[in-house]
Amino acid sequence: MIARIGGGVLGAGRAARELWIVYVSTLAGVLRRGGARGELVRQLHAIGNKSLLFIVVTLGFIGMVMAYEACNQLGRITGDYSQVGGQFIRLIVSDFGPTLTAMMLATRVGAGIAAEIGSMKVTEQIDALRMSGVLPIDYLIVPRFLASMIMTLVLSVIGGLVMFGAGGLTAEHSFGVNPNVFYDFGQVRPRHLILMCIKGLAYGAAIPVVAGFCGLRARGSSEGVGWATTAAVIGGSFAVIVLDFVISAAALFLTGGDL
Amino acid sequence: MSVTSPAIRLADVAKRYGRREILAGISLEVAPGSRLGLIGPAASGKSVILKLVAGLEQADRGRVDVLGTELVGKREVELGRVRRRIGMLFQNYALFDFLTVERNVAFPLEQRGGMSAGDIATRVAERLRAVGLAGSEHKLTGELSGGMKKRVGIARATVADAELVLYDEPTAGLDPVTTQKIYDLLAADQARTKATVIAVSSDVVALASFVDEIAFLYQGKLIYRGPAATIADAPDPMVRQFVRGELEGPLEDVRTEAS
Amino acid sequence: MIGERLIVAVGAGASRIAQEVGGILILTGQVLRALVPPRIDRRELVKNLYKMGNRSVPIVALTAFFAGALMILQAGPFVKKFGATSLAGYASGYAVLREIGPILIALMFSGRVGANNTAELATMTVTEQLDGLRALAIDPVAFLVVPRVIAMMVMLVVLTALGDLVALLGAAVVARTMLEVDFSTMYYSIVDNLRPFDFLLGVYKSVAFGAAIAMSSCYFGVAVRGGAVGVGKAVNAAVVASAVSIMLLDFLLTYLVGG
Repeated sequence: MIARIGGGVLGAGRAARELWIVYVSTLAGVLRRGGARGELVRQLHAIGNKSLLFIVVTLGFIGMVMAYEACNQLGRITGDYSQVGGQFIRLIVSDFGPTLTAMMLATRVGAGIAAEIGSMKVTEQIDALRMSGVLPIDYLIVPRFLASMIMTLVLSVIGGLVMFGAGGLTAEHSFGVNPNVFYDFGQVRPRHLILMCIKGLAYGAAIPVVAGFCGLRARGSSEGVGWATTAAVIGGSFAVIVLDFVISAAALFLTGGDL
Repeated sequence: MSVTSPAIRLADVAKRYGRREILAGISLEVAPGSRLGLIGPAASGKSVILKLVAGLEQADRGRVDVLGTELVGKREVELGRVRRRIGMLFQNYALFDFLTVERNVAFPLEQRGGMSAGDIATRVAERLRAVGLAGSEHKLTGELSGGMKKRVGIARATVADAELVLYDEPTAGLDPVTTQKIYDLLAADQARTKATVIAVSSDVVALASFVDEIAFLYQGKLIYRGPAATIADAPDPMVRQFVRGELEGPLEDVRTEAS
Repeated sequence: MIGERLIVAVGAGASRIAQEVGGILILTGQVLRALVPPRIDRRELVKNLYKMGNRSVPIVALTAFFAGALMILQAGPFVKKFGATSLAGYASGYAVLREIGPILIALMFSGRVGANNTAELATMTVTEQLDGLRALAIDPVAFLVVPRVIAMMVMLVVLTALGDLVALLGAAVVARTMLEVDFSTMYYSIVDNLRPFDFLLGVYKSVAFGAAIAMSSCYFGVAVRGGAVGVGKAVNAAVVASAVSIMLLDFLLTYLVGG
């Protein structure tokens, strides 16, 4: 039993080290290529367009739920709904917008990248690339890296606004909160926007690296691809959660709790 | 023994996957411009030797010298430089399913650089004509039959007039007439480019018409190496039994094919 | 011109979604029919319960811990500013039990177990094992799908209940270490202000989430087409469908059940 846990920890440690190597290689590749323009646009389109509807729908629903719960919660204690909107958008900007968007993207985009790269790996196309002197990380992950960072941030903003908008509708419909009172951007400060950008870019960087890493490690045939996709979704989601925690905690510490 | 240095030299090479030792100390030299065939039962390590020569895998022990460069311990970027002088046909074709036939064959040339787009197109057209696929330039790999895919793979492997060409099962699954046509094609190519060739095949008779020498691999060791013309009457009884397809003899029941 | 293409795209997308939803409903009907009278293979059921529970405990526990920690990080400073530390437990606990816990655990479950399940079923379908079962006069739905559906629903409920507790623990730990709110304050805050209904709402949701994840995971597994590439796409589709269903169901349940 101990041996199994020990083995698991060692395996995780080795995987983490390889993941780190992939991340560093990706960065090196980005610096080397400087981002070929046409390719970047194509990847932006691939990631962004396909995910837009998905993000709008899911974050719309979450927004409605969260607004409902927030009003419900307040209702039980103070019954004063004047602050709800203001606090809601503050939380959306500094946390929920980027984080929930990224978790959805880890599912959609992460699975897609891992499935593509994974099936290339098990059909030896990765080896064929190497035979032409191409570095798989440069060719497959780097183009998606920059695009993912940009798109995650952009979609976070869109998703966040959708959340806020949908939340306001729910607040008005179920609790009679006046939209003018709800849609109050006054609580949002520059530090919240900075947090949003940091989180969006960090999540956007993590997802393709984790997904590409899982894809490149696929082994066998169909099961290998399935495994790679699974691992990418979980790894990506978990990475988002951990990054959220680390960044939020750091922000809390740096601002002395004034967020 | 040879006046010029060998194109390939393996010195006491060993390789294991997990707990299985696939190669148990292989020493092999291939003179430049010669053709060598590799035969043996399933999972005897034939494909692994090709991958070691191509630098796609690293040996656990021993030296691998290819075209004057030592491969063991080299990084991907350095290996890439050697690989540009090598052409490889994979057992399962490993064609890029996101590119057309034309782009697949052009890929090694494009990655190498140094040729104009017009020259590349001419070369690709000539290669496709040579393998009998003129007119299929714009097809995607999904529309091709197995035999057609194999021929695209051969075109891609030989498009850059590489100094060293590796063929992994060039005629597996093809009918006898097509098999002969393929070997005629490979022979004509090699006569023109004077490349060194290693071919792995389970069709010993057809292979013997193409290569100068045949080496027999069994349980990770090189058992025999001799002229192809007389392989059926080789002095080693195991080789004779294998080539003639006899059920009785010194060969034990071997493991089933590894993936 | 763009408008026309947009309409075609929307139409195609809508028809595909309708097709998939229809397929899932049909499969659901088949599952329900197989339950009356219950013809469940006991060994398959136990095997799946064990596999799915065992596999997901570590990731769910970790995720839940972080989820609780995140909630307290969001709620804590806000509550402290108003000097209402006694409400810290309530604020974070409310969100955890009713929303964040069930949703995040369901998303992780979908990624870990749902995706894996789709990959397994898809591989079986691609390798014609389902046809093989039918040839033996065994109904694949009753034999394979039903035990997995039951196992997934049961497991998710259990994991959500346990995960909620771990999340509260995570919140308490972070509250103590980073916000200097001691355990007893948190404990009373939770116990005094949260109602059993809040916990149960989360559990009800997990039943619905479990059904959604199970049905979409199994559907995309058995409806797969193509080889290794198809498996990757099936897993992708399954996790995306699960994510959308989770958000949609969460909205419906929160709104309709209220409280």
